[in-house]
Amino acid sequence: MSDPLLVLDNVTKNYGAIEALKGISFSIGKGEVVALLGDNGAGKSTLVKIIAGGLEPTSGRMLFEGKEFLARSPAEAKAAGIETVYQDLSLCTNVDVVANFFMGREITKKVLGVPVLDERAMEQVVQKALASAGTRIPSLRTNVEHLSGGQRQAIELNRFVHFGGKLVLLDEPFAALGVEQTRRGLDMIRQVASQGIGVVIITHIMQQAFQVADRIVVIRQGVVAGDVARNKTSPDAVINMITGETLAGAGPAG
Amino acid sequence: MNPRTRQVLEFVLDNLVWFMLVFVLVVFSIFVPNYFQLGIFANIIEASSVLGVMSIGLALVIIAGHMDLSVESVAALSAMAVGILFCSAGIGLGIQLHPGWLMVPVSLLIALIVGGIIGALNGYLVVRLKMSAFIITLASYIWVRGLVLVISGGRSAQDLAPAIRWFGIQRLLGLPLTAWIAISCFVVFSLIMAKTPFGRHLVMIGGNETATFRAGIRVNRNLVIAFILAGAIAGLAGWLLAIRTSGATANLGVGLLFNAFAAVVIGGVSLKGGVGTLPGVYAGVLLLSAINTAINLMGLPANFTQVIHGLLVLAAVLLDAFKQTIRQRLA
Repeated sequence: MSDPLLVLDNVTKNYGAIEALKGISFSIGKGEVVALLGDNGAGKSTLVKIIAGGLEPTSGRMLFEGKEFLARSPAEAKAAGIETVYQDLSLCTNVDVVANFFMGREITKKVLGVPVLDERAMEQVVQKALASAGTRIPSLRTNVEHLSGGQRQAIELNRFVHFGGKLVLLDEPFAALGVEQTRRGLDMIRQVASQGIGVVIITHIMQQAFQVADRIVVIRQGVVAGDVARNKTSPDAVINMITGETLAGAGPAG
Repeated sequence: MNPRTRQVLEFVLDNLVWFMLVFVLVVFSIFVPNYFQLGIFANIIEASSVLGVMSIGLALVIIAGHMDLSVESVAALSAMAVGILFCSAGIGLGIQLHPGWLMVPVSLLIALIVGGIIGALNGYLVVRLKMSAFIITLASYIWVRGLVLVISGGRSAQDLAPAIRWFGIQRLLGLPLTAWIAISCFVVFSLIMAKTPFGRHLVMIGGNETATFRAGIRVNRNLVIAFILAGAIAGLAGWLLAIRTSGATANLGVGLLFNAFAAVVIGGVSLKGGVGTLPGVYAGVLLLSAINTAINLMGLPANFTQVIHGLLVLAAVLLDAFKQTIRQRLA
């Protein structure tokens, strides 16, 4: 394994008396793709939000590039180089494709000392990014509310590919995509990882995890129930870890 | 539907309120005697300057997905502050500055600061306590008006310093300078909303606050700035109001809030946030003013204005729903 990019050390999160995360420890290397698996309510999304700055952990610590790291807001996480793609709610449907693509980091030019949006430059970048990913959107100036679910997710995926950063978190990114688009999305992930960017992907679909991941981390009831290299495990073994028939490190049951 | 008709239709939908304004002006010009005069049109613009300025601030906050009911009271407070300091009769203190023109920037600054402070308070409470902007600013609407009554003791200030009143008297191309101030406010804030990252962010926050937060936009900071701007702009409206009435009374501007709402909604701003442009709001303001003028010219009792404004707001909301359905067909 290459140098660890992000190390989680005993991260916990409580909601009142409920322990959503009871102490999660694992690490992600540069250029490594980690699939995060687990049943509904296992705490995957909570974990992603903690890394992405949407939630603060109750205790535990994180090391990002060897340094103590805690993002108090998504803006801080972004500044550190962590990109996140959420399964829902992360596009503004009332503005056009270009505005969404550049949300929060618009290209500007100075006019009389005032930053003004450089629409032409932004549109060119989006055009190029979408074309190279083979995504077809009729007009970049249509509001996102008029686009299909697949087109919307394509915008988000292309956004993270374009901006890259150092670590990418994907929370069920392919939920609304068709077969061909999903295949392309998985290619995108490999391509991003080959640039040395760490990728964490949450998915429910075992096949996707085995297609794209280098390592599979299973979370069950707020703890890491399994952390295995893809080529040393099988879908059946992973399913056992998810449902709890096998304890981590206990070997196959029976 | 071919793309061309579609484009035309979208254009009409986007600028519907301007078409309505032109339509109304044409109809009135034909049917209302003496309506078709340059002086009347100048008067329509002039009469709408205070309302127009106030609507800008209200529209900013509504586009960002929130609400500011306090703009009317804030304008009254700013007007009263200017009135008390620079009026020479009534409760006015008649403060004189030398040279006289110095009173213009000083009074303007006071009006803007008074408004900005209340806006900042509104914004802080909405963002920090995460309470509904509707309730917070409703409270401000009430207590700020109360403050106006307290500091004025219910009495009025008259005879504003001539140096300040000059803005209401001096004309440029047939319009008083106060009207030009309103027009330039619309131009400046329209550009800010359409062309700068700040404006773009406000629109996106109004569309989907969670998404903008996740994208790393400083949502709270932007919202507080929007509330401060709304307050300061209301302060400017109050300054214009003081100039127009050459002083301030305790009940100055009562009812302006609802007209501002009407203008904003008629102008195509969605109360759900994220939708609407300032040029549209200006058209809404002019539309209301054009109708008022027609009512005056026809010699109808002024009481009719309120009925007509109410119906107009209703029509605007229905029209908005209708526009939505058409757009969905287009998509």
